[in-house]
Parts: sequence; structure tokens; C-alpha cells
Amino acid sequence: MSADELEQYLGITTLMRAVAWAQTKSMWPDQFGLSCCAMEMIAIVGPRYDIARFGMEAFRASPRQADLLIVSGRVAHKMAAPLRQIYDQMLEPKWVIAMGACASSGGMFNNYTVLQGVDKIVPVDVYVPFCPPRPEALMEGIIRLHEAVQAGIPPAYERRAVAT
Amino acid sequence: MNDWPRVPGFVETKEAYGETTLVVEPAELVEAATYVRDELGFRFLSDISPADYLGWGGKGVSGYIGTATGRDLNLPMTQGLQTLPTLKPKRFSVSYHVLALREEAPRLRLQVWLDDGEHVPSVVRVWPTADWHEREAFDMFGIVFDGHPNLVRILMEDDWEGHPLRKDYPIGGEPVRFSDAE
Amino acid sequence: MTIAPERRATRTWPIVGPPIYEGSRIPANIPTILEVPRELANLDDILPVNFGPNHPSTHGVLRLVVDLDGERVVGLRAVIGYLHTGFEKNMEQKTWWKAITYPPRMDYLAFQLNELAFVLAIEKLLALEVPEKATWMRQLMSELSRIHSHLIWLGTAALEIGAISLLFYCFRDRDAVLDLFELVGGQRMHTRYFQAGGLAEDIPDGFYPEARTFCEYMPKAIDEYEALLTRNPIWLERTQGIGLLSADDAIALGQSGPVLRASGVDWDLRRDEPYLAYDQVDFRVPVYENGDVYDRYRVRVDEMRESVRIVEQCLNRLDRMNGKPWIADDRKVVLPPREELHTSMESLIHHFKIVTEGYRVPEGEVYVCVESARGEFGCYVVSDGGPKPWRVKFRAPSFVALEATATCMHEALVADLIAIVGSLDTVMGEVDR
Repeated sequence: MSADELEQYLGITTLMRAVAWAQTKSMWPDQFGLSCCAMEMIAIVGPRYDIARFGMEAFRASPRQADLLIVSGRVAHKMAAPLRQIYDQMLEPKWVIAMGACASSGGMFNNYTVLQGVDKIVPVDVYVPFCPPRPEALMEGIIRLHEAVQAGIPPAYERRAVAT
Repeated sequence: MNDWPRVPGFVETKEAYGETTLVVEPAELVEAATYVRDELGFRFLSDISPADYLGWGGKGVSGYIGTATGRDLNLPMTQGLQTLPTLKPKRFSVSYHVLALREEAPRLRLQVWLDDGEHVPSVVRVWPTADWHEREAFDMFGIVFDGHPNLVRILMEDDWEGHPLRKDYPIGGEPVRFSDAE
Repeated sequence: MTIAPERRATRTWPIVGPPIYEGSRIPANIPTILEVPRELANLDDILPVNFGPNHPSTHGVLRLVVDLDGERVVGLRAVIGYLHTGFEKNMEQKTWWKAITYPPRMDYLAFQLNELAFVLAIEKLLALEVPEKATWMRQLMSELSRIHSHLIWLGTAALEIGAISLLFYCFRDRDAVLDLFELVGGQRMHTRYFQAGGLAEDIPDGFYPEARTFCEYMPKAIDEYEALLTRNPIWLERTQGIGLLSADDAIALGQSGPVLRASGVDWDLRRDEPYLAYDQVDFRVPVYENGDVYDRYRVRVDEMRESVRIVEQCLNRLDRMNGKPWIADDRKVVLPPREELHTSMESLIHHFKIVTEGYRVPEGEVYVCVESARGEFGCYVVSDGGPKPWRVKFRAPSFVALEATATCMHEALVADLIAIVGSLDTVMGEVDR
């Protein structure tokens, strides 16, 4: 019998694991809508996709109450400073999902105004591809993030340096 | 309509693709705008569209058609034009698309031409909606509108340098790399 | 966040000048900025509040700098550009058929309509005949887009005023519209279904019954929304008499679409300057007189009903067009059918030329506009005869709608500010482009 199974049968665990489990069950996203992807981000709150299944329906207007920043859309250089400020206001532990091609890499807008990937200013945990990603794709990203948290992988800001 | 020449500052009219273009002198733009608004009924300003014609037709003609020297081997066939476009009088054009809210929805394109550094009078007093359109034109092309009450950048940061939609402004961005090898 | 000090290039007018005409409520000095009256500014009692760019009620990344005197809004300045994406510059670098991909990303609620305006502009320059089936399908898709856009507007605007349940109803029905788009174009949003010359693909068989089911269902859903809101006293209190905009002011400020029609101006490009096949369908243009938030809501809800009726009429026409061509037969512009590529040399050459080099569009400048969900969506295109657009400029109705915030905000309270900004239905992607 492996250690995991034994734990499961006996109902014992470590504090770290219990905390990680709890973190995935109420990971509140910040209400940060930028462009097209924001519509699909709202759609996961809607009745068909119902993000409440993950305990995540509470989109917080204040970054201080949020654990997860979903960067939903293209970030212009003018928006980069407010974005970083929002990220800095969030309390640790905090996670970032770059939703869509524009947030991940600049997408089809390789030009003077769009930030070529939001990972230049904030450390990103999960990238969700497509333009815009379907709500299912975003939920897949969220589930991957939950798996990473439960597996004890530290948030991106502890692993990855970001140019300041 | 045959009485276009009565518009103040009239230069010429053009008909193309079923649209009327009325070119006026920049100096008399406000008088012309007031005239078309009050006398001709164009009360609704749809849009102010500037365009930069720097390098217009500069790609040259590709292939053997119409060139004295033959095909330029340094210019790939696909990059050139088939015929040289009509040359433009000056570098920038500013087009005011106006509309009359009446039957058949007549539209008119009021156009002025200017070189880099020339100013246009502002039409905010004629059509208040021109406020942001003119600010955008200033932001993107550096065209100065005399008499505009608040001519500051609108889309770019206040301390941005250059005017992005000019043809001599590079598109920017980053070169795309297709592998991790650096 | 550091905000650079404002730099004014010119300031030649007196601070308070005469109004543009008698009875105008447009701020006299700068039409888009509500300035604090001097007698209040000297009292030292004004609280400046920064609203946005990340605020849940700003419909994206709009920033408003509001001066408050107690609860009253006495000064207002909108700051935009936080989503400036450089569409117009990027499109100059792409061939014509690649550039069609860009406009849908601008107004991401009524994406098909943006695509339509640009495609119509290309067709006008090319003088391309579009088959009847494509015209009717385009019209159908435009109306579905309008429903989609108004649904999101209704859901989010009601949410902001406190009617949270509307969001869930509207997003339920929005998914029904997106299912139809997915059925036709393979993607929920940004389908890029319109091509220069017609449609990208034929209409799949399963589309008609699904669309008919939607047309039967949708009016009942709209009845539900109206039952929740139209006579709801809280909704009436929050919306009636708020954000007034007179007809003259609306025209002077260039407003279009539902905002203009709520102010009592009977103007709709679909009827007054028909494009596609709008002159062959029967629909009503809803017009209301008061120009307040409530009337804008009424116009949009009525428009949704009319759109469903137009969709039905389009379906009746399309039913009889099975097997007809959906795209023009012009091999210099339109990609050849897929199956021909394996058998025909010419088709392969044409396909290769269009994909690598792009088609050439004759020299000229055109301005084409369509009635988008937000108003007159215009597209000014200049071509130099080459394979890429020389200049593309969009007339964004939300950009213009935001100019009216200062006028609507006269004597408003803080709570009304949200309702007013919401009622103008701005999409920041389109404002900043």
C-alpha cells in the first residue's frame, strides 16, 4: 500500500497538504476583464459552465480579496502599470492565468502598443491558448492550476523571476 | 449637385464609388464646415479620418508592364503595384465624413490636404463630436488642430514619443522566434 | 501607478464660453469634459475620485476622473487608451484577406458586424457581386450578433444596477446564440465567417432547425427579462430621468444607434440607408422620446425582438436557397473550392497566389457603414492598388458614445454614474482600437 492510499484510508494528512487542498477549493479570482476573453471569463460564471462547482464563483472586485488573477485579453503598455499594481496588491499566495493568445504572447498584435506576453511583468502559472479560449479551455487551465497547487508546486512568483 | 463651388474655400470635387469628395482649403475649413452644416443640412459628423500618404506609390511598378527599365530584380514581383496610383497633392489628408439625417441619407466627404507641420482649424465649434476625433488624429498623426480646446494625447500615454500611425513610424513589436535556441 | 501631468498643447478659448446653441447641455468649453463650476472649485470641498481602469462597472478598462461634491458629480473626465491595440497599424501590414481577421476583435460583442463593414468596403472597391444566399446569411448573422451584443449589455448593465439574476439569464441565452455561431463557423466568438465575395463555407444542414428553435425560444426569454425589469419599481427608480440627452445634443455629439433612438431621433441605417437586403424585410425601428437610461433599455429590448423577426424572415428566404452558391465565382479574389485543388492546376495556382501574395484591390477610398449594435460602425479604407490596405480607419460608435458622458452626467449622483456609463453601452476594445 502506498503512502497516499494509507493516508486516504486513515484520513490523516500533513498540514501542508491540507492547506493546499483548502486553497484549491476557494480560489477567488479577481474581477479583471480586459477584452474579448473577458466575455468568455464571465461565461464560466454563467449557468452552463458554472464555476461555482470549484468554489470560484466569487469574483472579487478588490484585488486584496483575490487569490487568482486571470489576465483576460491584450495588455497595452498603458495598462501594464495598473496590471502590475493590481498584482502587487494581491495577498500571497497568488496565482496568475494568462488567458488567450494575446495575454500569453501578444497573439496577432505584434506591434508598438501591445505587451508581448503578460509574463514580462507578472509571473504566470498557467497559459491558456486560443483566441478567445472557450470556457472549457479556461476551466481546463483552472483545473491544471488546482492540480499543481495540490501537488505542492509553489506559485510562479517563487519559481520565476520577472523583469521589474 | 452643381453648386459645390459656392462652398467657401472650394478646391475641387471628386466622384468615385458613388461617394462625393469635396476638397477645400484648410484655411477656410471652418467656414466650409459651417456652410455644409447650415446650408446643406449635414448636421451629423460621422468620422474624421486622417491618412498619411508618405511613400504613396513608392513601391513602384512590378513586372514589365509600364516600366521603362523593366523589372527591378531587387523588388520581388509580389511587392510591387500593377499601375502607379494617382499622386497626391500633399502628405496628409484629413477627411470629414458628414451625413444629413434626411431621406436617402446623403453623405459627403469633406477633405483637406496638408504637409507635415501645417495646421488645420478645429471644427469642434461646428460639430462638438469632433473633440475626440481631433484628439485621436493629433495623437496618431501629429496633426495640430488650431483652436481645439484640449488638444492632448488620447490613446497613447501622455509622454509617448512619436505618432504611431504615420508611415515613418515603425510598427514595433518583437521579432518572432520559432525555437528556444538563442 | 504614476500618471503623467496633463500637457495641453493649445488652450485658446475662454473657460466658459457661450453654448453651441440655445438650450444645449453640452459643456460649453470642452464638449467632453464636465468642469467643476468656479464657485464650487473655490470652496475646497471637492473630492476627486479615480474610477477605474480596473473597476467592475466600467465595462472594461475605462478610467473616469470624477469630482464629487458630496454625492453629486460636479466634474468628470474620461481617460481612455488602456486597451489601445494598434488595429489600424497592424492591418496596414497584412494582405486584404488576412486583415479581415482583425475587425472582429475590436467590438467583441458584435463581432460579425465589424467584419461585415470591412468586407463590404473591400467588395465596394472590387465591385464584386455577392450571391443572394450570402447576402441573406450575412444579414441573419448580423442580427444574431445584435441579439448577442444586447444580451451581454442587458446582463452586465443590470448587474451593475443590482439586478444580479439578469446576468445568469442573459448568459444562458447568449450561449444559445454562440452555439449557432459555432455550428456555422466552428468557433464561438470571432468566427471570421464573412469573406470578400460571400461566406467562407456553405451553411450546414443542421443550422436551420436549430435557428428556428432559437427564434421560437427567444421572444419568450425577452418576455422574461421584461417581466423582471420593465415595471420593476427599483429598476424604474434607478433608470428613469437619469442621464438625459436631448435629440439636438445627441446629433451634435454624433451619437448613433440605440442612444440616438432613445433620444427621439428616428434614424436607423438599416432602414434609411439600406445595405444587404434590409429593404426586403419587414421590421420596426423602436424610437423613444425621453433620452434617459430607461429609454435606452427599452430601445435595446425592442430591438432584440425585431432582430428575432428579421432572423425568421431570413430563414424563410434561405430555406429556398439550398444548393445555391454562397460565394462569388471570381477566382482572382475567392479561394477555389478545396476539392478542386487536387485536380485542377489553375485552382492550385490561384490558391497559392491568393494565400501568399493576396489579391489586389483597385485604388481608391471608400467609407462604408453598417448599423452595429452600438450605432453607425464605419470603415474608411484607402487602397493604393496593392495587396495590402494603405489605410484603414474605423468609426467606432462606442468611442463617440463615450463623448456624451459629460453631457449625460449633469446633476447626476455617484450611483447614477454607473447606470449612465452602462447605458451608453461602450465596448472598450472598440473605443481604443
